[in-house]
Amino acid sequence: MTARMAGARSSHQRRMTWLWRAVAVAFIAITVFPVYWMVNSSFEPNGQITSLTPSFFPVHFTFQNFVSAVNRPYFWTDARNSLIVVVSAVILVLVVAFLAATAVTRFQLRGARSFLVLILVVQMVPTTALVIPMFLILDKAKLIDSFPGLILTYVALTLPFTIWMLRGFVRGIPIDLEEAALVDGCNRLGAFRRILFPLVLPGLISTGVFAFITAWNDFLFANVIMQQQYRQTLPVWLFGFVTNTGIDYGGLMASCTLFALPVVIFFMIVQRRMISGLTAGAVKG
Amino acid sequence: MRRLFQRQLLPFLLLLPALVLVGLVLGYPIVQLVATSFQQLGLFELLSHHVIWTGFSNYKTLFTGDQFFDSLEQTIFFVLATVGLTMLIGTGVALLMNRVGNTLRVAMTVAMLLAWAMPSVAASTVWQWLFESEWGVVNYVLVQLGFSGYSGHDWFASQMSAYGVITAMIVWQAIPFVALSMFAALTMVPRDLFEAAAVDGATPSTTFRQVTFPIVRPIFMLLTVFSIIWNSNVFSQVWFLTGGRAEVLNVQPLGVWQYIVAFSSNEYGLGAAVAVVSVLLLLLATGYYIRRMVRTGMAPA
Repeated sequence: MTARMAGARSSHQRRMTWLWRAVAVAFIAITVFPVYWMVNSSFEPNGQITSLTPSFFPVHFTFQNFVSAVNRPYFWTDARNSLIVVVSAVILVLVVAFLAATAVTRFQLRGARSFLVLILVVQMVPTTALVIPMFLILDKAKLIDSFPGLILTYVALTLPFTIWMLRGFVRGIPIDLEEAALVDGCNRLGAFRRILFPLVLPGLISTGVFAFITAWNDFLFANVIMQQQYRQTLPVWLFGFVTNTGIDYGGLMASCTLFALPVVIFFMIVQRRMISGLTAGAVKG
Repeated sequence: MRRLFQRQLLPFLLLLPALVLVGLVLGYPIVQLVATSFQQLGLFELLSHHVIWTGFSNYKTLFTGDQFFDSLEQTIFFVLATVGLTMLIGTGVALLMNRVGNTLRVAMTVAMLLAWAMPSVAASTVWQWLFESEWGVVNYVLVQLGFSGYSGHDWFASQMSAYGVITAMIVWQAIPFVALSMFAALTMVPRDLFEAAAVDGATPSTTFRQVTFPIVRPIFMLLTVFSIIWNSNVFSQVWFLTGGRAEVLNVQPLGVWQYIVAFSSNEYGLGAAVAVVSVLLLLLATGYYIRRMVRTGMAPA
């Protein structure tokens, strides 16, 4: 009797397992499809793309779209500009945010809570509304058309969320470890550097990815702050492509692929650490 | 002296760079934004540095016109739809990742990373291409499946249908962050709790409600609050996806309308007033949760 029940139960479970697997596969297909379609279209010759029966594999495989994309004016300049600005901004924001997160979690600092609420409120201001005031202040500081101007903008835009995320990570690491280091004769800053910093590294990485994507994506601010063509960044370049070329979807998809590539590579390198650390310390109150 | 340094001065010094940056690069523009909302500021005044204070006149214009309330309604429905779908599907996917084997879990992770990593300018362009009326693959597949009415169908012809595509794209790109964060949170729920629940004969849904969810609630709440904030101000995806036709289609949630007022009509004062009002409304909507997050210290990553 019990044996039969157990048998029925396990066959039910097996069926459920297969159901879950099917759902997972469907989810993967839907999630990946837009990305796949972008890459697929970018390897198709233009005449093939705009035919009435789209092909689901690049049958007439060509690199032509990529060649014409990178040969468009300012591609390499703008790619270089993007990299310089975004990488500098990410490094800067991580340093500043790590110090701030340590300050609000590891000390009984007066006003720490108000500070946290304040930066969350700052995050609520629509970024579109900040474009003009931001332009005016950078103009006053003579930072228009300069890398530092755009770097500072991106640091400021990503700082609030970055501090909140890192605060979660720092909280998750038991303070006892640092206290032990203090007993062993380390000073407070030394304990942060030797103990806290390595432990919070996964948090820094996942926070860095967030900042990287936000800055790499930005069109609004780059468009206004960088007025000279040789100073512009890739999103502005890409937008120019969209508005100028009409229906060159092959070239457009190839450009989008090139634009997304650095982010994807960056993601793949750090993803293991990122996911393991994404919500470290989140569950413990 | 040394103690004083370590107690108050050191943390203050650590916080100082963040304070300076937030204060100068964000604080000052925000103060200016609020000031602008009480001024008449068009292109002429902007270029000639001419300041005309008009008191609450911009706010009056805002509340007496129809578009503000229309945009507000659109924003509320849009946020409810996108945040609801994202949190629901995201949590479901996280639970699913717990159920399937290693290979499928890694495949799901990679798939989500690809979608998440796609820059929004690129993503919008690709989605526009997917839903293109003549050569788009979505119409092609629908026609092949027997819905011949979709041949040459224009997805951006009406407000509702445009919102449908925009919602789909936003949810598609927002799920990875929510799902991966929730999955990470789920892995931190101690295993013996599940075993104990199983011994007590709890059904999977009871286990989820009584054991799992209370533990992952802090992270769930944080993700919800941030999703609400982000989706209330959504601009670039709507702008790129509709190809600048947002105003014609009346796809104008507050973030988009704010931009149209400020930049298409060059009424920066009125645009600033829209921004100030939307921040206040957002505070009203999320204030309770933010206070709880800060107060109980349950403010996770």
